[in-house]
Amino acid sequence: MAADETTAPEAADRRSPLHEVHLALGAKMVPFGGWEMPLSYPNGTVAEHRVCRSDAVAFDVSHLGTVRLEGSDAFDVLQGALTNDLHRIGPGRAQYTHLLDEEASVLDDIIIWWVAPERFDVMPNASNTSRVRAAIGGIDVTAERAVIAVQGPRARERLAVVAPEAAAVGRFRVLEFDWKGAPCVAAGTGYTGEDGVECAVPAEQAPAFFEAVVAAGAMPAGLGARDTLRLEAALPLHGHELGPGITPLQAGLGWVVGWDKSEFTGRAALDAERETGPRRRLAGLVTEGRQPPREGAVILADGQMVGTVTSGNFSPMLECGIALGFVDTEAGLTQGDSVALEVRGRSLPAVISPTPFWPPKKGAS
Amino acid sequence: MNIPEDLRYSSDHEWVRLEGTRVRVGITDYAQDALGDVVFVDLPAVGAEVSVGGSLGEVESTKSVSEVYAPVAGVVVAVNPELSGAPEQLNADPYGDGWICEIEVADPGTIDTLLDPGAYRALTEA
Repeated sequence: MAADETTAPEAADRRSPLHEVHLALGAKMVPFGGWEMPLSYPNGTVAEHRVCRSDAVAFDVSHLGTVRLEGSDAFDVLQGALTNDLHRIGPGRAQYTHLLDEEASVLDDIIIWWVAPERFDVMPNASNTSRVRAAIGGIDVTAERAVIAVQGPRARERLAVVAPEAAAVGRFRVLEFDWKGAPCVAAGTGYTGEDGVECAVPAEQAPAFFEAVVAAGAMPAGLGARDTLRLEAALPLHGHELGPGITPLQAGLGWVVGWDKSEFTGRAALDAERETGPRRRLAGLVTEGRQPPREGAVILADGQMVGTVTSGNFSPMLECGIALGFVDTEAGLTQGDSVALEVRGRSLPAVISPTPFWPPKKGAS
Repeated sequence: MNIPEDLRYSSDHEWVRLEGTRVRVGITDYAQDALGDVVFVDLPAVGAEVSVGGSLGEVESTKSVSEVYAPVAGVVVAVNPELSGAPEQLNADPYGDGWICEIEVADPGTIDTLLDPGAYRALTEA
């Protein structure tokens, strides 16, 4: 047996405040975006995935950056740099937004926690933190805290045992709370397609907080389950569905753009693309059998190459292969159309399908 | 790591159990643990002739794809039909219900060239 090493080993010199907790729980650790993070715990990725759909899991997502902007000009800096319109929300709320370059490529996708009137906690992807700081400034406070995501239909019930205030935070709402005297922030956000709460807890108190959440019945879950969960929910991952050469419109995320606001980086290129329509669009793909489609597989329609798979895996809920991929607009494909995915020299039949893959649409045939 | 005493091993983490002139082949506990949750097994074709190091199909987990190599030369005479619908058996019972295929061995003497349990353990602990 030999693994197909698709990625070169990467340096992982940063560790979460929860590192020792993960080792004690038997986690398999892997390098990710410069961090050493849990891939899975002894229950395994598929079990962790299913428990997130049926009950509750706890992820360590401390590798996400936290860049803090404070002061009277913070609003204007963010409003001018990022695509979404902060006028749509207010203090105590969270917003998903993009940082573009001048060509409207998505340099990063970001969640902003508007914690207090003049305080914004901006959360980029692990490997993009320095790039985001170059664009918006602010102070990198990543090392000061852990971020613990409790996700699943029973996430709030489990979290309420540990931090009732945090468990009551509304969807896309943000609130400050104290845990054993430590100042924490909770947000009704996540990356699984389930309800849930993400908690930023000071590094010193974070291990006890995570252990308490696990003791309250949330199963620890790793990056493996995080990836299969977000794929079932058809949520984009930077470096796959977003990145150099990919615009928000191609990714089907036009709602992330505040078209009514004046200026932001990449606006002109985005306006031009909106005028002509994107040359390719992200599509959902479902295969019949269990074989997972993989990133890089070529999408063929009637023998012609019409696109490329950006993420693919086995869906633990649907028990078949699912994928996201960019399909050329001029191919004229619509939902229900059959395509073939070329996986390592073999052809895997697939159907263009509605997203998210999970939950399945009620009444859909 | 579970390394049964009655089996022989390849350096590519396959195990072999000699039964007359046939061997049963699977992947080791070490291999299934490294793979993570197996979600799909591409089985070899019954009747296929394989040489040492030839392909015996692929095992896919949620994180990677791995090729299975033939530890001995011969003809594939049986495959584990259960793995198509329940590939997780490969994780749960790699030396039992998670077996992959059986090979009618061309030269049973080649079994002796494979690693014994002690040598395989040394390999996994290196």
